[in-house]
Amino acid sequence: MLTVSNLQVEIDRLQILWNVNLKLEVGERVGLLGANGAGKSTTMAALLGMARANGGSIHLFEDDITNAATTRILAAGIGLVPEGRQLFPALSVEENLRMGCFLRAHRKAYRERLDYVYDLFPILKEKSRQMAGDLSGGQQQMVAIGRAMMGQPRLLLLDEPFIGVAPIVVTTVLDVLRRIAGNGVTVLLVEQNVHRALEFVDRAYVIDNGRTVHEGQSKALLNDGAFAEKFLGLE
Amino acid sequence: MAYLPDFGILAQLLINGILLGGLYALIAFGLSVIYGVAGILNFAHGTILAMISIAAAILFESLRLPLAVILLVLTPAGFVFGWVFHKVLLSPLQAREPHQRTIGTVLVTVGALIIIGDVTAVLAGAEQRVIRLSSTFFEIGSVIVSGTQIGILVAVSVSMIALHLFLVMSWTGSSMRAVAQNRIGAALCGADASNTSAMTFAIGASIVAIAGVLYVISYPVNPYSGFPLTVKAFSIILLGGVGNLPGTLIAGLFLGVAEAFVAFYWAPQWAPAISIIIVLGGLLLFPGLARTRRAA
Amino acid sequence: MTFLQEKRAIGIAFIAAVLIAFVPSFATSYTVSMVMLLLLFYTLAQSWDWVGGELGYVNLSHYASYGIGAYVFATAYTNGAHFLVALALASLVTSVIIALISIPLFRLQGEYFAFATLALLPLFDILASNLKSLTNGTEGIILPAEQVTGIAFLLMVGLAFLTFVTTTLIVHSPFGLVVRSIRDDEEAAESIGVRVLPRKIMVISAAIAATAGGIHGWYLSFIDPGTMFGLDVALVPIAMALLGGSALLWGPIVGVIVLVFLNQWLLAYFSILHAAFYGLVILLVGRYLPGGLLRSSLVRRIKFVSLLAKEHHERSSVSGNIVEGLDLTPPASGEQDVALECRSVSKNFGGNAALSDVSLTVRRGEIVGLIGANGSGKTTLFNCISRIYDVSSGEVLVDGQPITGLRKDEVAHAGIGRTYQIPRSFERMTVRENVTTALLGRSDPPRFEDALNEAARFVCYVGLGHHLDDSVSTLSAQKRKSLELARALATSPKILLIDEVASGLTPTEIDQFVAHIRELRDRYGLTIIWVEHIFSALAQVVDRVVVLEQGKVIANGTLDVVLTDEAVQRSYFGAKAAETEPC
Repeated sequence: MLTVSNLQVEIDRLQILWNVNLKLEVGERVGLLGANGAGKSTTMAALLGMARANGGSIHLFEDDITNAATTRILAAGIGLVPEGRQLFPALSVEENLRMGCFLRAHRKAYRERLDYVYDLFPILKEKSRQMAGDLSGGQQQMVAIGRAMMGQPRLLLLDEPFIGVAPIVVTTVLDVLRRIAGNGVTVLLVEQNVHRALEFVDRAYVIDNGRTVHEGQSKALLNDGAFAEKFLGLE
Repeated sequence: MAYLPDFGILAQLLINGILLGGLYALIAFGLSVIYGVAGILNFAHGTILAMISIAAAILFESLRLPLAVILLVLTPAGFVFGWVFHKVLLSPLQAREPHQRTIGTVLVTVGALIIIGDVTAVLAGAEQRVIRLSSTFFEIGSVIVSGTQIGILVAVSVSMIALHLFLVMSWTGSSMRAVAQNRIGAALCGADASNTSAMTFAIGASIVAIAGVLYVISYPVNPYSGFPLTVKAFSIILLGGVGNLPGTLIAGLFLGVAEAFVAFYWAPQWAPAISIIIVLGGLLLFPGLARTRRAA
Repeated sequence: MTFLQEKRAIGIAFIAAVLIAFVPSFATSYTVSMVMLLLLFYTLAQSWDWVGGELGYVNLSHYASYGIGAYVFATAYTNGAHFLVALALASLVTSVIIALISIPLFRLQGEYFAFATLALLPLFDILASNLKSLTNGTEGIILPAEQVTGIAFLLMVGLAFLTFVTTTLIVHSPFGLVVRSIRDDEEAAESIGVRVLPRKIMVISAAIAATAGGIHGWYLSFIDPGTMFGLDVALVPIAMALLGGSALLWGPIVGVIVLVFLNQWLLAYFSILHAAFYGLVILLVGRYLPGGLLRSSLVRRIKFVSLLAKEHHERSSVSGNIVEGLDLTPPASGEQDVALECRSVSKNFGGNAALSDVSLTVRRGEIVGLIGANGSGKTTLFNCISRIYDVSSGEVLVDGQPITGLRKDEVAHAGIGRTYQIPRSFERMTVRENVTTALLGRSDPPRFEDALNEAARFVCYVGLGHHLDDSVSTLSAQKRKSLELARALATSPKILLIDEVASGLTPTEIDQFVAHIRELRDRYGLTIIWVEHIFSALAQVVDRVVVLEQGKVIANGTLDVVLTDEAVQRSYFGAKAAETEPC
């Protein structure tokens, strides 16, 4: 479904990604792991057309979307739950969700999608008129995920969705993500907490210093004692 | 001055002040929306208004067009002018680093204000113009209100409500508020900051067009009347908070009423000084006003 | 060399001033009035640039100082004062007025400041038009008809020269460096101990403009609100400074000459629309020449111009090799044992509790690692300690003294130095200048020349010796992190907060860095708190580790103990650790 080949990305004259290779099949749940500054968020940004690729390619099915406009990528069915959520703090929960349908192609399905998201996260329906900036971290994360889902994406990208989210809420959110994946949405998850990631995804890539350096099935990585140490830099 | 407050005079001043304040608020709305979303200080704001006011006056005198038609012609004209102005002159500046961007917008909008003022003076003459409408007068107690005044109040209220509804209910309006609060989040939803800014500027210009037509019905305008109005709009935004429309409305009304009272009880020449004194006094007494408040 | 550049510039200006002073003796009265106008606008444009260009506060009411000065002069003069006394009064009274107005004004920043100053312009026009007893209203004040052109001209030449000299002094002085750091990043500047009262510069700027107003009013023999406070002219000196090149020594002069000549030419050849063309030039410069004429690549092709256009950067008079060792004094032995203490510190943002009841104690000479997942509150804690944020509850004590309510620069003087996760360098300065600013920010700063040399030590210490006089904008993110450290060290801190420096470094570089940390503690007696994700780096040097999760401290002890702690394992590694424990 998604093929990223030899992706190179430069930001402000600095080469951040040197050689990133990813491959996702429809319906898969894949993880993207790596230390801070390794390039995970930059990869996400590039996938959504928000960071310029100066080498390599990104293909969604047969479509070459390397350096395509964000609107085109959104219309093609990719949604992003960004690091730090990037909500609209002075808009209500419902208005935040509504922006998820901003693309002309998505507007018709607004009501339907809103019901779907409220079904995923009932508490958002309760708080639909509250300002997003007043919600707790976990609730804000729900809004961010809901907003991305409003556009009915076929591929959902999540960048560190559990930062500042209480552990109890993490469980709820993971369940919802399982539901979403169960509905046929392909998921690419960037996550710092290795085990939490590996328990959700089938497969994971590891990025280090702008390069994909490792790939493996979750079970294999979980059982690899040395993996966590290599990844976290412990000796 | 009377010993006891003459409620008739007070009420009359209040009405006049609200009318003036409502117009001020409408003018400030345009600027507030532009600054909140596009991040641009438009020093030419009032000058564009003056240009449209004069155009309206000319259309009224020479072509004898009814007011409604004038509004229908000039509002879209303002929209197009705003769009082109932004796309050609201001949009390319947004990519620069902040200090250069501020300098660039200052120079461009100040240059524009000089050009527009001069060109208008050359094409239309530098004299004051006003649209004189004959109207009926109504008496409520000892207060006299003209039909025109009522009409303007209604038009201003309708415009504000329409703007509010537009911002809250329409897709474009929501995207404008979204971009103002979080550009990255908005981009993720497909609301590109550059296009939204152009649209915002165009809408701001349309509001200015409406305000310009309404203004010239009540008060005379010459090609150089614009800048003092820009200054007043800035003061109102400072008091009311950028992007905070209810706050801007209150600040505008307050300013209008204050000017009306000062003009009557003290002297008319002092009325325009009120805005600045309020701003400085407000900042002195309430330092908290200085923090950037970006409400919906 | 700094000093020579300065002397050369002043020398050139002096010669120019002397030459110009002779103009009235041979030129036509038209030429004399033109030159007078040039001198006036230069004085106004350049004095504006001190606040607008160097300090970064765009003051749109500058022209009002000129008008006020003219009025004060005229009033004093028509009441019998000697012209020099009247000028002195003009300067003094205007300074007081501007000083008072500045108090509320400088509560604003950035564009809000510009908004407010814009509102001041028409205020003085109204005051002048209506305070009839004082100003004779719109009729204006007529000064006695005397032949004053000669003296007035000389005075203006003198004032313009003084303005130029003041500029070189501001630009080339430690004060200038500090002022520019505020322009580049005011908060970061405060964090390294810089405190400048913008009002001081504003008042000096106003005093100069007021004197110019007095001299010009005398020259014109007539002042009225329109001439003195006209909105159509008020923004012109600003446009001139920006057009030529703000914050460049020769920028305002170029802008003034270009626009004054342009205006005269337009007046001569266009009976109408000359204002519009004037505005067009201003608009085009704003649209296409962001830094002004002197910074445009097109204009710089002309050899002579590129000489004028060089940005000023401080260099040291001592050319030398890489220097070893830092100028840091270890604290005296009698100092408090507890260097830093946080007592139940909490910080909320709206509904979000970024820190909850965080208590920790750091003893002098300890190296403490601060770890936790993204979003756990590490940077927030640093921000609370360095007073970027106010705590919502609890307190922070440095050397036993609470720092609640201290300004950021006061916290720096109390001994807190820090680096930022995303480097906040002063973009428009060189590496050396960045560090020099920190040296100047100390509570007892070294002399300027010494500071420039000392800066080299810190720069070399972090391995940036080869980039000493390079502009920061050319540095990679990694090198900027090193610069952050050098700058923080230059403030001579007792407690150093380091926010994530190791990611992106090669193993060798990490080892070097760790060695530095050890040396900073062992040799210079620093207490260090280090936020880091790379445990192998921490393991080599930390005495103990504090773990944050969701804004709370969940572990506090030596690294190996902490890593086997259940809660920590759960936080970092997830449920696997919990699975292996019996419920």
